[in-house]
Amino acid sequence: MRKLMGAAGLLLVAAPLQAQTDYYNTDTGRPLLIEDAYALERRGFELQVAPMRLTRTRGGVYTWGIEPELAFGIAKRTQLEIGVPIAYVDQRGGAGGTGITGVEMSLLHNLNVETSIPAFAIAGDLLLPVGRFAPARSYASVKGIMTRTFPAMRVHVNAQYTFGSDLSSTSVAPVGGPAQNVEVSRWIAGAAIDKALPLRSLLLSAELYARQSLRVGEPLEWNSGVGVRYQIAPRWVMDGGIGRALTGTDHAWFMTGGGAYAFGLPWRQR
Amino acid sequence: MRTAMMRRLGAAMFVSVAVAQTLPAQWVTTYESFYLQAPHNWTFRNSYQSADRLFNAFDYGHAILYETLFTKPNAPASLLEEKIYDRLTKKILVSPPKVPLEEVTIEPMYARLSPEAKAMFDWSHILHRQIYDVLADERLSEPQKDAEVQRLLAFYKTRPDLAFSSKPKSMELMQEQPYSLAFRQKYPKFNGLIWGYHWFQVGLYEPLLVGKSVAERQAGVRATVARFWQMLGDPMTSLPYQMPMTAAIAPEFAKRFPEAAIIFDNLHSMHDVVSDILTNPSVPRNRKRAEIVQAGRLFRDDTSYVMSVDAWLTMSREMGVENMGGKAVGFTPALPVPTVTRGAVMQHDNATGRMTGMKVGQMTGGAHADMDHGAPSDTTKPPAATGHEGHVMTPPSPPAATGHEGHVMPANADTAQRTPASKDTMHTMHHPEVAATAQRTLMMQRALLRDPVIRRRIAADPALRRLMLESTDGLSDTDRDELRRLLTVPRR
Repeated sequence: MRKLMGAAGLLLVAAPLQAQTDYYNTDTGRPLLIEDAYALERRGFELQVAPMRLTRTRGGVYTWGIEPELAFGIAKRTQLEIGVPIAYVDQRGGAGGTGITGVEMSLLHNLNVETSIPAFAIAGDLLLPVGRFAPARSYASVKGIMTRTFPAMRVHVNAQYTFGSDLSSTSVAPVGGPAQNVEVSRWIAGAAIDKALPLRSLLLSAELYARQSLRVGEPLEWNSGVGVRYQIAPRWVMDGGIGRALTGTDHAWFMTGGGAYAFGLPWRQR
Repeated sequence: MRTAMMRRLGAAMFVSVAVAQTLPAQWVTTYESFYLQAPHNWTFRNSYQSADRLFNAFDYGHAILYETLFTKPNAPASLLEEKIYDRLTKKILVSPPKVPLEEVTIEPMYARLSPEAKAMFDWSHILHRQIYDVLADERLSEPQKDAEVQRLLAFYKTRPDLAFSSKPKSMELMQEQPYSLAFRQKYPKFNGLIWGYHWFQVGLYEPLLVGKSVAERQAGVRATVARFWQMLGDPMTSLPYQMPMTAAIAPEFAKRFPEAAIIFDNLHSMHDVVSDILTNPSVPRNRKRAEIVQAGRLFRDDTSYVMSVDAWLTMSREMGVENMGGKAVGFTPALPVPTVTRGAVMQHDNATGRMTGMKVGQMTGGAHADMDHGAPSDTTKPPAATGHEGHVMTPPSPPAATGHEGHVMPANADTAQRTPASKDTMHTMHHPEVAATAQRTLMMQRALLRDPVIRRRIAADPALRRLMLESTDGLSDTDRDELRRLLTVPRR
């Protein structure tokens, strides 16, 4: 069970909710953690139909995750999202399992469109203890996002902080050895760059970020990843990415892939 | 110590004041809205793929233009006129992107300069595309299509911060501002391409409306696509000489959906205005954003530079459909021959839309070549009652395919003869005496060209040769061929 909790924690930090349809609007976890400062279009919906994530930790434990989610452009420059991450843990010599790892709600508000001033956004996440593998209590996070565009690329900077008391080593114990010791973060800070290939509707991204565990005594962990987003049709975006923890006790790596479908809210003339 | 602190404090206050002054002007909170969700979404894309994909290429063309104008103000004209133009017409239009482009990826610096204007364009381009979808949806009856377009317009207007006015704006807003004409004068070929895009964007509605069956609509769209390609054949002669007005290019569409037609004319006008602001060095770089934002306001409001719908229709006719690339359906194999110099600026009476003069450029070519362009108004002639409807010309030959050498180029437009034209000159072509005048002109030309010295001089002078060739358009095939033979540059 502890092992599954650890795996669930990995999903929490690796794929929190954010979603936008356009290939140029990056989402947290689709495919990278660091995202841009723009929200889904007003009155637009996005359905993440099958965002898959495979993680391998040092001990050889594979964790499969899928996180169906729905995002809605609820107001000007503001999106609301709800997702239900589901994890499957393939534990060597032990009992694996499948279960919901929590219900996550997120609200992102873009403050401004970029001019000579970068674009900024703020976001709040709430992870609810719902499901077999969910954490024991709720976690709330706040995040600040900045996007700056240059002729050759964009740069995104994210900083996130999670509230709540530290976790003792017994509250969420490492499972299967140090390689699987991944969990909810106290804070995350990092940057990403991306480069668009406009005529191919393709976005190439790379990120580097640091994460401090919520668990007492865990070292600072540096992570990197690269990813791609591709617009295959006006309503469909596909994404894929790979990444690895560069430091820390785990050195886990991950692969992710998925697709999102966009549609709008019906409108009736008054 | 205290002095140093005071200095730092003063510097900090100065920076704070500067930032405080800059922030409001640069803090932009525009936003995107999802397009109207409907069963007809993306129908046009599915049913008319080749035409639809051209729009994706147009997105690129518009975006790369603005980005280049803004980021490379000192680049030689050849960058746009040759390098980028060739890339657009030989690669991107030939093999257009499969999905609508995210323009900000092509014009990141322009998008930063004026996100409000970009959002206005995006919102209107969505309207453009959604109307194609409605008209292409074979499940909808004609009344249903009408109702759905009206619904699209209502939805479009839910964003007054982005929606272009549905009141017609006079050409004064586009052509007679301090920064006006810079783009067409420095980049005549690229300007023609943009007008070609706009011709296609409004023109494509017409075959969807006039076609009586799916087969007719498909054939009509194919023909309009082919016509667009024909326009690229010899860009300096075959692309439009004037901004295509929807009422002239697509009269059936403008008649059925006048509000949409007006919105698209305003949209296309503002495209030109932004190009002028970005091109014109008299607008300092730190003023470009403010000018674009101001232009956006003027195009959105319902009071500035407004003319009546009747005046707009008259103005559209008086500008001459033959100068805009011709009608989008029912055209002859040959492109119409323009009757004004490229990029000419006609002036109109805002109350009536009637042409009152030429501010820049002059009338040339076609049957108009025989007109007394420089003459003052001939008030003895009755005013034309219906404008230019008779100008739907069916020229017997394509425009002179002699390359660029023969053109009265817009580079000269600002120094060109600024001749007030008679209100009636453009209408005299319909009078029988014009034919007699053409014959007399032909006789004179023959006589002149029989002289080998004169002949060589005219053949060697691009402008003269061009004028001569243009003057053949009202002639019979035999006479025209004879004159063209005489104008052939002798081989040495």
